Amino acid sequence: MRKPPQAPGRHVTSRHRQQQAETQKMSPAPADELGFKPLDGGWGWVVVFGAHISIGFAYSTPKVLSIFFKEIQEDLGASFSEIALISSIMLAAMYAGGPVSSVLVKRYGSRPVVMLGGLMCGVSMVTASFGNSIIYLYLCIGIIGGCGLSLNLNASLTIISKYFLARRPLANGLAMAGSPVFLCFVAPLNQYLLVKFGWRGSLLILGGLMLNCCVAGALMRPVVPPSKPSACTLQKKVEEQPNDCNTKLKRSWMKNAKKFLDVSFFKDRGFVIYLIGSVMFIFGAYAPIVFLPAYAINQGVEEYSAAYLLSIMGFVDMFVRPGTGLVANSKWIRPRIQYFFSFAVAFNGTCHLLCPLMKSYALLVVYAVFFGVSFGMVFALIFECLMDLMGNQRFPSAVGLVTILECFPMLLGPPAAGFLVDISHDYKYLFLMCGSVITTGGVFLFIMNIYNYHMLKKEKTAKDREQNGGAMADQVEMKRTPEAEMERTEPEAEDGAQGDACPEDVETPN
Amino acid sequence: MTASWKQLFFQILLLVFCRHINTKTPGPTPPPLAPSGPLPTDVRSVVLKGESQTEKVEVVNQVNLTLECTWAGNRDKQPNITGLWRKDGDEIENSLLTVQLENEQYNLKRVFNIVSEENLGNYSCLFGNEARIDFVLAAPHMGEVRDKPIVGYVGDTAVILCKMEESKPKPSTWNWYRMNGTDKEQILPAAEPHRYEIKNQAEKTKLLVHNLTEADSGLYYCAAVYPISTTMGHVELKVITFFEPLKPFIAIVVEVIILVAAILLYERSRSKKNYAAGNETNDQSNTLTQGENNGLEGSSSMRQRKV
Repeated sequence: MRKPPQAPGRHVTSRHRQQQAETQKMSPAPADELGFKPLDGGWGWVVVFGAHISIGFAYSTPKVLSIFFKEIQEDLGASFSEIALISSIMLAAMYAGGPVSSVLVKRYGSRPVVMLGGLMCGVSMVTASFGNSIIYLYLCIGIIGGCGLSLNLNASLTIISKYFLARRPLANGLAMAGSPVFLCFVAPLNQYLLVKFGWRGSLLILGGLMLNCCVAGALMRPVVPPSKPSACTLQKKVEEQPNDCNTKLKRSWMKNAKKFLDVSFFKDRGFVIYLIGSVMFIFGAYAPIVFLPAYAINQGVEEYSAAYLLSIMGFVDMFVRPGTGLVANSKWIRPRIQYFFSFAVAFNGTCHLLCPLMKSYALLVVYAVFFGVSFGMVFALIFECLMDLMGNQRFPSAVGLVTILECFPMLLGPPAAGFLVDISHDYKYLFLMCGSVITTGGVFLFIMNIYNYHMLKKEKTAKDREQNGGAMADQVEMKRTPEAEMERTEPEAEDGAQGDACPEDVETPN
Repeated sequence: MTASWKQLFFQILLLVFCRHINTKTPGPTPPPLAPSGPLPTDVRSVVLKGESQTEKVEVVNQVNLTLECTWAGNRDKQPNITGLWRKDGDEIENSLLTVQLENEQYNLKRVFNIVSEENLGNYSCLFGNEARIDFVLAAPHMGEVRDKPIVGYVGDTAVILCKMEESKPKPSTWNWYRMNGTDKEQILPAAEPHRYEIKNQAEKTKLLVHNLTEADSGLYYCAAVYPISTTMGHVELKVITFFEPLKPFIAIVVEVIILVAAILLYERSRSKKNYAAGNETNDQSNTLTQGENNGLEGSSSMRQRKV
């Protein structure tokens, strides 16, 4: 039934406000970014499985390569620090390749990027197996392998944000769980391969296994928005496949290429807060893992049991990440996910601060369990919070920017901690430093998020007041624009028909 | 005169023969040196706590070693007790004596001449049948011995490493041996310089085997030579061809290609089906996937519109 002209305006405003309020409760990101409703299930779970594999390889490979280091060191006659640099170069390349990866994902979509990443990783390991000098290994494993992994990481996270919205924290938790799961399986596998084939054969087979990232990429079916390409120019931003509007895409791609690092993000208050918090976390996060066995041996624990502590941590981590995703998805936590994240960071820091009190093996096991829990919680939420803040459109470039900035604390953290151990000859200062930096980061995130949400609410009420005042004038204007058809179909949309922007859809009842 | 000349001639012959015998047998121990001047002395004393105790003694050079045992006795402290020394379980001649109780303690002391490998072993001092202290005399042992085999590839170079811990005394030299049948045969790089290379540092040694062949697989022994004796460690080398890891690698690559092709083909067949079905029902059909259809039909507060 057609309502009088004034009524649609009023209805539009109230409904718009209601929707905005609901999505605003969910996230500070602009609510009008997606032109379509994400799947939240179905093929999305297969995509999560693919992302799980891809992220698993990305995070676990630099760590498990250290199993080969002793053999490579003997064979090539290099010093231990030269060999350990391979892992550092790989991690640095993986994080620094973020912006390049973002650009490629926005242009070509996730599937080709992950397949290319998997191919690069496989090729890097295979060529490394023939290496005879340490510089060759730096190039193959470090640079080419690292770049391949960075393509994997970024593209996997992006496709999750395209397929999920309501269940996105759970999807993120499940995908990020790939890291401890793969660490758990690949580490003993590497030991076995090393004994059977030596380090060259093992690198060859590991390269083959990394080609499975291509399978994961094949599973990442691109999302096709539900509209005719030619008529909907508005939908272009979210479409992944190039289509008739190629020229417009090319122009936007060149604009992206010119700004690899989109510095306009720094104007976003939420982004800056998140960035500072996560940089502080990353600075202190990895050093305790590196030094935990040495600290345990220092406290009188035997070597085998000390290594077992890390396995306990990894095992706990495996279950905590999906669990955290599930908890974060609940209706009490989801609107307050930024606070949950800051709590997890502060919890992690507190664990480290309490570690110097753990002198016996039983207490160290308790510490390892809590460390695993807090570490898993933070990593399950770290990218979910960024998606929550930035929204789907800005997430690929945001994550590229965040990873390249996280590169510095990640490379500086463990050596700084090691330096502290060298000058003080006591491991407790390491844990105190890491714990205090991380806890400060957590508290900072918590307080600044309160401030941010407060400011957002103020801005929103100001904007709503403006819009209410201008709604009448807007409504008259909208009738005159080319999108008048869309406006005229508003009443039918309110009856429960599909609410997409394209007129043809509404005219053909399903 | 002739008899003494004959004796001398025989002695010379004996010497010559003895030297030959020495070089033919690949015994790892160097022949015992004649002590030049008085030997250094060392003392090891142990006070027994409990019924028995073992003490490890590292011997590097020839030495006059004094072993001293002290025992506080048991509840009924008898004024005399029999003391005895054993080596490797056998009673040492003329070592049985009576020990007096002095200052509430029994004391046994004896000097041993440690000049060659035979003098090393397990020395025990016994107080009657009740108390015993064992002294294990041995050259320094290599602690970190690699138990897993080293894997090398045909045509490549293998590096075998043997190391004595930093805390232990460094050997005078290192030797390498290879199992040849049942004997150990010394590896001399001078004989085959393009195949073997030995790099020695004070506390570690490296054997490089170039141009590996499958026949090079087997046990390699590294010997740390000390003046008193030699300790051995062994490492296993396994030589494989490149095809061994290549087989699982090719299997994995084939699996990846099959899976990727299957996934992409399945997707293409499904989208063709959707497109065909869509075309039949409506000319202006959407290119929806099934999931999107379901999602859009359901109402939800998550719907976001461009207004």
